[in-house]
Formats: sequence, structure tokens, C-alpha cells
Amino acid sequence: MLEVTPGWYMTLAAALFVLGLTGVLVRRNALVMFMSVELMLNAVNLTFVAAGRAAGVLDGQVAVFFVLVVAAAEVVVGLAIIVAIFRRRETASVDELAALRG
Amino acid sequence: MSPGAFPDVAWAGLAPELVMVLGAVVLLLLDVQVKPGVKVLWRSASAIMVIALALGIWQWIVTEPGGELAFGGMLILDPAAAFARLVVLVVSILAISAGRSLFVQLGNRAAEGLALVLLASAGFVLMAASQNLVMMFLGLEMGSISLYILAGITGDGVRSDEAALKYLLLGAVASAVFIYGVALVFAGTGSLGLVAIGGFLAQYLVLSPAVLLIGIGLITVGLCFKVAAAPFHVWAPDVYQGAPAGIVGYMAAVAKVGGFAALARVLLSGFGTFRADWALVVAAIAALSMMVGAVMAIISTDIRRLLAYSGVAHAGFILTGLASGAPGSPSVWFYLAVYTVQLVAAFSVISAVGGAASSGSALSDYRGLYRRSPFLAIALSVSLLGMAGLPLTTGFVAKLGVFLQAWQHGLQWLVVVAVLASAMAIYLYLRVIVTMYMHSPTTDDPVGSDRPTFWALGFATAVTVVLGVFPQPLLKLVESAIYL
Repeated sequence: MLEVTPGWYMTLAAALFVLGLTGVLVRRNALVMFMSVELMLNAVNLTFVAAGRAAGVLDGQVAVFFVLVVAAAEVVVGLAIIVAIFRRRETASVDELAALRG
Repeated sequence: MSPGAFPDVAWAGLAPELVMVLGAVVLLLLDVQVKPGVKVLWRSASAIMVIALALGIWQWIVTEPGGELAFGGMLILDPAAAFARLVVLVVSILAISAGRSLFVQLGNRAAEGLALVLLASAGFVLMAASQNLVMMFLGLEMGSISLYILAGITGDGVRSDEAALKYLLLGAVASAVFIYGVALVFAGTGSLGLVAIGGFLAQYLVLSPAVLLIGIGLITVGLCFKVAAAPFHVWAPDVYQGAPAGIVGYMAAVAKVGGFAALARVLLSGFGTFRADWALVVAAIAALSMMVGAVMAIISTDIRRLLAYSGVAHAGFILTGLASGAPGSPSVWFYLAVYTVQLVAAFSVISAVGGAASSGSALSDYRGLYRRSPFLAIALSVSLLGMAGLPLTTGFVAKLGVFLQAWQHGLQWLVVVAVLASAMAIYLYLRVIVTMYMHSPTTDDPVGSDRPTFWALGFATAVTVVLGVFPQPLLKLVESAIYL
């Protein structure tokens, strides 16, 4: 039977991370870009857990908690800023946010 | 220690950060319960900072040269951390002083702004003192998230919002890249502590270093984002231009201190054995930063974008020192200390000229500034000359230090690029100075500066000139104490 080693999880995580990064680079809606960042952070979590399991230490699992907390804090601030912008301009598209130029 | 006993906690070593964090909480509670005036809040925040600085100086004196691990190996309390803390605190006090008018304009949001400044400072100090990579991530985020909010704190400007969103999105991506690098390094070495990683790499031959190298690369990229090194600098000009003038200098300075302190720690103490692999990449980023920064700054028409691109160039100069891989890199610390003071001074002048809550500052507003306010013009000139690295300013000593260090460690080509970039940079700083002194002003209205701004600028100017003429005390301090 095929054995699923930590390497599989890390490969999946790498794919998710690249998917998230692509999302940030390609999508133009601030909310969707933000979701993509969350995907990247979840890929990180998967890597941590898989690597911790492979190394036989708990550090990986513990690190996930901290990453989750940071991700939550980032979402709170991010959504607040996006809402503030949407109230003013009725758009969440980053293409229309182009007042800053030099 | 018996099982279940409370472990030893190095409260004293972390006293300045505890004061800052508790102070921030107290400020927020005071604001809700007592509703003191903005002036009282501002004074309290300044007092908290000064107490933290006093504790920081005490910690700097008692810190052992080798440092000691604290909080279960999460932090390392060594001279490098203590020095980074002093720089962050001095910069924060200068910025809060010069930014008083911003907090006054914030009105009922002043307490939040001041609390965020305290939290951001504490976060970047923790980042600089981290021995564990997850702790470093937490410090980084504690500082960065506070800065995202500060960038948009006025809440009444289209450009301020935009700066906050851009900073947040790109900062979040950089953080994700950083922590993914940490996860890969963890996968490669099985540990998160820098000392343990360094020991592992020195002891064992890594058979398939690909995962580890990608991890080191991603950590470096994430931190280069935070310190605005090219090609990861695209956010800096927009954020510096859009964020409220009274806080930009602070944002730029503390992020650079935390970022470079972390970068030095990761590269030198964690991955020192891999120097052959990372030195060339760091040197390439340094060279690109210096050239891109200098060229883009020359074509900028907004003084904030100009300073942002000059900051990219300065990140390149500091990376030049880091790329040398010299143990502890004392010249890097000296550079960081003197450059951040100049940066805060320059933005304090911008805040005084354009208004503390303003976004964007066209270079043409600075025509004939000398006739409208000789003091501000001289303060800005001194800090710009310092950034240009003219002799008799701290900038010259700092540049000489990193160039010598890079030269001695076999990066002659990088020093040549750096000298070329400095020569180009002199032109762009002189352009601003010529605008201030030689052109006639569009308006004759005098520009005032309040008393705290006056003292902050006076201090920064004095430091830039006095330490430029007599750099020995600070140089000795840095060289004798800091080796990672």
C-alpha cells in the first residue's frame, strides 16, 4: 500500500503556497487578495505540522497556534482598512487605488 | 527545578518592553475611563518612553557580552538586542516629540495612536532580541500590524487609506513569505532556535540542502521586504507618500532597525556556516538597492518619495556591510543608529512644513524654505547631508565603516557600486538643499515648529554633527560590545 510520508504534505503545502502567492499577484480585489494571503499562511501551517511530525518534536504544532493568532490579527486590521476604503469609494479594487504616484 | 515549579523568568531583561506594553494598555484604559486631554496622553506616552529608555540604558550596562537566553530560549538578551532597543527608543522619543501636532489633530483617537507607537516599538525590539524564529515572526507582526494601522490612522484622507491598504497587503505577503521560510528551515533542521540551527548546521553535513536553502532565501526575502530593499521596495514610496507626515519617519526608522537586527541575527548567527551561499545573493540585493534607490530618488518630484527611494539606497548600504559576513557587523549597527536619527529628523521637518496629518509633499513646496524658516531648513539640510555621507557628519563615518568592512571581506566590486551610488545620491540631496536656499519662495508665510519638534530636531542635528566630528565614543561602544 502506498505510504503517505510528511513529504507529501509538504509538497501539498508548497502547492497551496504558490497558489496563494499567484492569487495575490493576479487578483485585483483587495478582499480576494487577502484571502490568498490566508491561503499562504495555511500552507505554512501544514508545513509546520508535517515537519514537526517528521522531526518528532512538538515545536511545529505549537508554531501553528502563533501563526493562527497572527493571521487573525492581520485579518481584523485588514478588513477594517478595506471597509474604511469601501465606505469612501464604493470599491475594493486595487486598480482604482492609484492616487499615490510620483 | 521541580516539575510544575514556576520557571525563572528574566523580568528585568525585558523590563523596557513590559513598561511599553503595559503603558500602552494603561493609555487605552485611561482614554476610556478618565478621558484626559490629548496633551496629558501625549505627556504620559512620552514619560513611558523615557522610563523605558532609562531601563534600556540600565539593561545595556548590565548585559553580559555573550548574552543570555531568556524565556525558554525564545529571546536572547545580548548587547546587540540592547543596542537595537536603545536605537528604537531614541527614535520613538524623537518621533513622538516631533509628532505631537499629529496626535493633537487625531483628537479622540490620540490614545490609540500613542498606544500603537508604544506597541510597535516593543514589537520591533522583541524582533531584534529574538533567538527563536517564531518569536521573531511574532515581534515582526506586533510591530508591522501596528504600523499598518498608523499608516491610515487619520482616517480622513483618500491617500492615507490607500497607503494603509498597500502597506498591509504587501506586508502580509512578506510576512507569509518569511514564516514559510521559517517552516522550511524547521523542516530542514528540526529546530526553530537560531543557536540550535547554527549548531546543527555546524555539526552535520546537510545532504539535501535544497529545502533549507529555499527557507533561508524566503526568510531573507521577507525581511528585505520589511526594510525596503530592492526589488522588494515597491510599497515604500507609496506608503511614505500617503501616510500622515507626523508618523512616517517613525514607521520607516523602527521597521528598518527591527528588520536589519533580525536579518543580522538570522544570517550571521543562524546561517553563518552557509555564508558562501547567501553572501552573493545579499550582495546582489545590496547593489540593486543602491542603484535603484539612487536613480529613482533623482527623478522623484515628491520629497517623501525621494526619501523613500533614498531609504532603499540606504538599505543597500547597510546590506553591503551585512554581506561581508563580519561577526557582529559593528559598522551595520553604527549605520542603523545614525541613519534612523537622520530619517526621523527629515520627516519631522516635512511634518512641520506640510502639516502633521498631510499626505504627499511636493518638492516645490520647499522652494525658499530657508527664508520662511531658517531653523527647519538647516535641520533638514544637516540630516540630508548626513544621508549623503558628507564628511563631518555621522553619515560619512557610517558609510566609510560599511565600505571598509565589505572591502576587507572580499566584496571589492560591491564597494565600487556603493561609491558610485553615493556619488549619485549626493546630487539628489544637494538638489533639495539648493531648492531650499537658492530658489525664491512661492509664499512668504513663515513656517513654525512647536517646542517638542524644536528640541527633537535640535537633538538630531546635534547628534549628526557632533558624532560626525567625534565618532569615537559611539564607534567604541558599538565595536567593543557587539558581536553576535
